[in-house]
Amino acid sequence: MTLSGRDAYRDELTRLAATDPAVLCLEADLGGKGHPFQSAHPDRFFNLGIAEGAMIDMATGLAVAGYKPFVSTFAPFAALRAAESLKLTLGYLAAGVTVVAPYAGVSGAWFGTTHHCLEDFAVLRSIPGVTIAAPYGEADMRAVIREAVRSGRPHYIRTGRNAAYTSLGREGAELPPVNWEHPGDAGATCLVSVGEEGTRLALSARELRPESAHAHLTYLDHDHLASAAADLSRRHSRFVVVEEHRREGGVAEALALLLPQCEVTGVNAGHGWPVLGGDHHEVMAQLGLDLPAVLSALEPLDPTRV
Amino acid sequence: MTTLLDLGTPLAERAVQARKLVIDMAASPRGCHLGGSLSVLDILIAALHRASLDDGTQVVLSKGHAAAGLYAALHVSGILPENPAPLYGQLGHPYTGHPGPKVPGVLFPTGSLGHGVPYAAGWALAQRLGGRGGLGIAVAGDGELQEGLVWETCQVAAAQQLGNFVLVVDRNGGQNDGLVQDISPLPNLAARFAAFGFDTAEVDGHDLTALCALLSDDRSSARRPLAVIADTVKGKGVPAVEGKAGSHYVTIDAARAAKWKRMIR
Repeated sequence: MTLSGRDAYRDELTRLAATDPAVLCLEADLGGKGHPFQSAHPDRFFNLGIAEGAMIDMATGLAVAGYKPFVSTFAPFAALRAAESLKLTLGYLAAGVTVVAPYAGVSGAWFGTTHHCLEDFAVLRSIPGVTIAAPYGEADMRAVIREAVRSGRPHYIRTGRNAAYTSLGREGAELPPVNWEHPGDAGATCLVSVGEEGTRLALSARELRPESAHAHLTYLDHDHLASAAADLSRRHSRFVVVEEHRREGGVAEALALLLPQCEVTGVNAGHGWPVLGGDHHEVMAQLGLDLPAVLSALEPLDPTRV
Repeated sequence: MTTLLDLGTPLAERAVQARKLVIDMAASPRGCHLGGSLSVLDILIAALHRASLDDGTQVVLSKGHAAAGLYAALHVSGILPENPAPLYGQLGHPYTGHPGPKVPGVLFPTGSLGHGVPYAAGWALAQRLGGRGGLGIAVAGDGELQEGLVWETCQVAAAQQLGNFVLVVDRNGGQNDGLVQDISPLPNLAARFAAFGFDTAEVDGHDLTALCALLSDDRSSARRPLAVIADTVKGKGVPAVEGKAGSHYVTIDAARAAKWKRMIR
């Protein structure tokens, strides 16, 4: 059985902490009861209560003193409420703090807009020096957590709620800038998938349009995207980026700037505010982020409409 | 009430020298936050004296707009080798209007008010985890206490029983737009901290002997954080600006700086 992103995070961090005494786990009352890290390493687990800003800034103090704090709270509270702390800690100070943010996108679904976060890439990508990842599947998440512990660099890691996704295959233990799930033929339109639901939709679209290529991106900060863009443009020239994020500040926008010679379009959460209930996929559909939208984007542009 | 500076000790001599440096920075083309730099100076010198024990104690000036005071205190305490005054605000040098980690002795960027308090609390937690007796000392302004992050951190620090976390409040009664009392008063401050679960102490913030005594305690077995409410005077030591709200940010010329330095009391 594959684990959800946040369960994989908790399990991998707990495992790594057994051999790295500098690893600490901080929560802001959203880690749930029975956190495996708390059970395995109670002296290094801190539930600081509902205090996201204080949690990230205290993690800064811990990191400067030599520890490797991993903090976790829902994406809207990490990326938006505590945005200034992230700017100062992850960016300016480059402190070795890792922020793991579940409930990204609209994975909070019927919990409502307060628990959605479609703006985190825009915030974090504008802060230089932060490694940004949106893993798909358990293996991806484990690899990202291992790298965060190994490198000690500031990380922002986005994941969803409780959904579990079957990992994509890849060669080697390290995550490449581009994971070519299906390289496709020259001239094919290439789906570029971002995050859990963006990748699910891209995989579904490719089943129906097997002539399409598919590239998955796990790391989304500027440096990684620059490497990915070079790799992408060596194989293809038309891309459809699928991401559970606003258009502004998202990955499609970044790739369009990095690939001026290519055609880059996006399927994203647009500008709407989902005000109705529903499950995760239903709320995404309210935003126009669904399989028909991806299939439509794969169709060649009608030159008479350009 | 204006008390005389605590004079006649090596630390007091440092404080006088530091005040002269702050005046020099006020006489730079940039000017500086003079009033708050002078009010906090004795607190900083006492706190840095505690940190000189090399027991892991770290001092975080959370009211980062008093950067001139911090640079001066670091220099006279022997932590910052070069004299920062001629370099303050200048291209190619790290002595910006709010301090950052490129300055020797500064580990955290402060100036966006509130953040230095949790930085110091995190440092205190790290000391405890490492089995060291060092303190995490945050120095905040009284106006800064209007920031929610300060109280969020007090709640966490008390809950985590961070007895080696010390929050010193430079209660000079002023803030950018006027007086704390007029804008958003903070009455019963000691009682507020006590209600959060802090030990509390109130002290003359220009009495170096009393400040050093408070900060010298071994708090490695304490389970309640400590709030030190230090009553200070904005512009302390310079009669021309003592207690005046207009001393918040000051730019002066060299002649006036020379005169003020002669009159430090």
